[in-house]
Amino acid sequence: MTFRSKLFLNFIIALLLAVGLVTAGVTLVTRRVFDQLNGQHTDAMVQQFQHEFERRGQDVAHRVKAIAEEEATTRMAVDLSRPNADVSVYVHDARGVSSSHQLNFLDFVGNDGSIISSQEYPARFGYKLAWVTQPDDWAARGAFLMKVDTDQGPALGLMAVSTVRVGDRDLYVVGGERLGKEFLGSLVLPTDMRALLYLNLAPDFQEPNLIDDKGPAPDADRFQPLVEKIEADPVEQTEKISWGFDPSNAEVFHALPLVGRQKELLGVLFVGSSQRTVVSLERRIRWLALGVAAVGLLLGLLLSWWGAARVTRPVQKLVAAAREVSHGNWGSRVEVHGHDEIAQLSKSFNQMTGQLVEQREKLVQVERVAAWRELARRLAHELKNPLFPLQTTVENLQRAREQNSLQFDEVFRESTGIMLGEIDNLKAIVSRFSDFAKMPQPELAPVNLNDIARNVIKLFEAQFGAVGRPPITPELHLQENLPIIQADATLLHRAIENLILNAMDAMPAGGVLMLRTQTIEHGVSLEVSDTGSGLTPEESERIFTPYYTSKQHGSGLGLAIVQAIVADHGGRISVESESGVGTSFHIDLPSSPPHKPQVFPMVFEKKEVEA
Amino acid sequence: MLRRLAVISLGLALLFAAIPARTSRPPRYGGTLRVELGAALASLDPVNTPDGSSGAAMAKNQIDSLIYAPTGPDGTFAGAPIGGPFILSSWQPGKSATLKANEKFPQGRPFVDAIEITLGRAFRDRLLDLELNKTDLTEIPPQDARHAAERGVRLSQSPPDELLAIVFLNDRAAANETRARQALSVSLDRAAIVTFLLQKTGEPTGALLPQWSSGTAFLFPASADLPRAKELSAQISPSPKFVLGYDSADPLEQSVAERIAVNAKEAGLMVTAVGAPPSPSTAKSDSVPDARLVRVPLLSSQPAAALNDLLRDLNALVPGIASGVALPESASPQNIYNREREVLDNYRIVPLVWIPQVYGLSARVRNWIPPAPGQNWPLADVWLDGPNAGGPNADGPDAKATSAPIKDPE
Repeated sequence: MTFRSKLFLNFIIALLLAVGLVTAGVTLVTRRVFDQLNGQHTDAMVQQFQHEFERRGQDVAHRVKAIAEEEATTRMAVDLSRPNADVSVYVHDARGVSSSHQLNFLDFVGNDGSIISSQEYPARFGYKLAWVTQPDDWAARGAFLMKVDTDQGPALGLMAVSTVRVGDRDLYVVGGERLGKEFLGSLVLPTDMRALLYLNLAPDFQEPNLIDDKGPAPDADRFQPLVEKIEADPVEQTEKISWGFDPSNAEVFHALPLVGRQKELLGVLFVGSSQRTVVSLERRIRWLALGVAAVGLLLGLLLSWWGAARVTRPVQKLVAAAREVSHGNWGSRVEVHGHDEIAQLSKSFNQMTGQLVEQREKLVQVERVAAWRELARRLAHELKNPLFPLQTTVENLQRAREQNSLQFDEVFRESTGIMLGEIDNLKAIVSRFSDFAKMPQPELAPVNLNDIARNVIKLFEAQFGAVGRPPITPELHLQENLPIIQADATLLHRAIENLILNAMDAMPAGGVLMLRTQTIEHGVSLEVSDTGSGLTPEESERIFTPYYTSKQHGSGLGLAIVQAIVADHGGRISVESESGVGTSFHIDLPSSPPHKPQVFPMVFEKKEVEA
Repeated sequence: MLRRLAVISLGLALLFAAIPARTSRPPRYGGTLRVELGAALASLDPVNTPDGSSGAAMAKNQIDSLIYAPTGPDGTFAGAPIGGPFILSSWQPGKSATLKANEKFPQGRPFVDAIEITLGRAFRDRLLDLELNKTDLTEIPPQDARHAAERGVRLSQSPPDELLAIVFLNDRAAANETRARQALSVSLDRAAIVTFLLQKTGEPTGALLPQWSSGTAFLFPASADLPRAKELSAQISPSPKFVLGYDSADPLEQSVAERIAVNAKEAGLMVTAVGAPPSPSTAKSDSVPDARLVRVPLLSSQPAAALNDLLRDLNALVPGIASGVALPESASPQNIYNREREVLDNYRIVPLVWIPQVYGLSARVRNWIPPAPGQNWPLADVWLDGPNAGGPNADGPDAKATSAPIKDPE
């Protein structure tokens, strides 16, 4: 993965984290706000219910009081205060009076608590309504909730009591309104809110007792746990009820316990708030946030890509320059912009490459001087050998001319013969130098390296087993089906000859000469090994230097020629040597050399073994 | 042939003849008697029995008695075309009927020339028509008699001659069943039913015959015994439950049934009052009644015959409910009592109250005597007072002044 990709990935991760955090934060804050709004709506509804409850209670109390203050009621009270009063004449009165005062419940109760007339339970006349005779300030109490027995079963009523006193006898007027679906229907509810009422009229939870403004509420069983919880602890509670997998179908219910005079739980008002709007708004906001996030993400992607590219461009230039340096272009430079770390790195890189070039030039100059010195030394050495006999011969000739003229002719012949011989030596020396200077360019043609190796070995077979010389055993390990390469067979032949000659010189006591070929990536390799005395590390380092030789009679050009031929073929040569064990030369040749032969630096691979 | 005053059996004529001022006047012929009935009869064919409450059957029977001659021993009419004191001159089913005086009636021509009968008239309207002198004769529900009297309506009331009772439809002989029925019977506050629901028009009873008929009704306890009822109820497990059917068209039955449910609840019995068609055979209620309220008229003033007829009618309603040999005409009071006791001992019949028939009369109606048990309306003997008896306002403004409730001589 490139630096740019990593940088880009980091940007993306950071961006995603930021977007995720923002989206989560927005969702959380939104939900809290909606919950607060929902709570406010519910509180408003509860307050409305309480106000409505209070208003209705006052209204009920007012109507019951109005009945008690009516002339007919007063006459009834007066009549009933008489001894042996006939109460049966009033048995149907409650129905008519309740109808005219729009009360659902109305009972006329005598001084002893006996029901004289009942609207909601007409057949219950004569029975006692004991609670009404208990001491209580009914006028001050106002309206209260009560479980009312009717001929249709128990009901929940918002009741009030008023008394008409005649003498020492009271006539109780007990009236009220049914707390049921009509009451729920009278509540003004905002959209997505509803009110349910559970009438706690039985010891156990009864599903039909949960009503809405139309009648028994559906799925009443879902409210049972909440009702039971409130029965155990009659305080306001809030709970969410889900009606399916879709969260928008859920409702949050605020449960308000309704208690009677004795603080007994008579009902539970549920104010339900649908989550449809909230969930819809939340979804809309979430989608909006996601849309904004997506756009931001896309924009962030582009900016990240642009930023990563901008940040990594100098680095990429540095990488390219470093790659050029690794390919030999030591003069590679990068442009420097700004003063940041990358710019400083670029400056350092440029300084480094500048120093490299400078050092290389110095090194080349030093090597050139050293080479010239070596060449001068070799030339002096080579030329000095024939010159010294020439000088001696000339001096002998002069001496013979002066001392013995009779022998002068003989001396002259011998001396001129010696002198001509040494002059030939001088010519040979000059010729060798001339040949090295005139190394030809390779003429490429399909070549099988195995064939060349076999031919060279065949040439030397006679010398390997020559009489008076310790034998040398050649070993050929030539890979079958070696790829054909483009090369100059003559030059390669000469290079292998030089290597074999070198090996023979290294094995004066005989040994094993091994040639190995094999396929390598993009070419072939040749290994020439001997079991000679080996080279010292210093010798290994300088062995390819022209005119350098460790031998007494060598010109020092053999391995230099080999190295030059390999280089001309685009290959490389290395040497491994172990003192006392032997030396191996490795030549790697490409299948097809480059058009312009490269100049490879000399590589010395040493394998030293402690003596 | 001029009509002579009819001789009223059982001495009742003597009792009601004690209305001195009105009956002392000489009878006069002419005029149209206006009658309003609550029942809406669809047919006057003597063969057909009307559907609906017992009031409808009674009304049809009364009209039939005016236009047909009675021939059968059981009081049914043979349908002779000109057999009764009146002749049907016009008939609108369910709405009205007009009867003309039968000039050739063997017992003499009726005093009034015609009777106009309006059918299907609600009680409230009938009461209003009486107050406005738009009608001369109408039925008054017994529970409303007191209210009508308070409004100044002239009333005529018969002795209690209709039994309101609970009959259990199934004969379950198990001890618990009998005990449960007994518990229900003793839990009932019959006096409260009479006092409050019937507004004191009627008498509580535990017997099959009224006190005035048999003289032994007081031997059958009619008062509530709540502790005993609770004791009996507690002996039964699980708690007894009854579905009590009543005629949904009869407000009296409904209120009594609801009161029974309240009384039973106090005793630990569960009674559900369910409105149902009047005939048990046509009951279509989802809750099949275990028992139902019935109103059975007394058809004779003779106790033995009355008891026989009563049991026959009850058997017709619920077959086998009062099986046994009929009493002879000359049965002694002891035998009659024993028969009653025999029938009531299993509590399948629980008598509640005896109810009288109450009629509202206009001031110009003369010689009206409430029919004795098993007797029909004596409209042939009624004449109309006043110079303009034939007109709609024959009595004029003084009608109100002359109207006064006619109480039961008892």
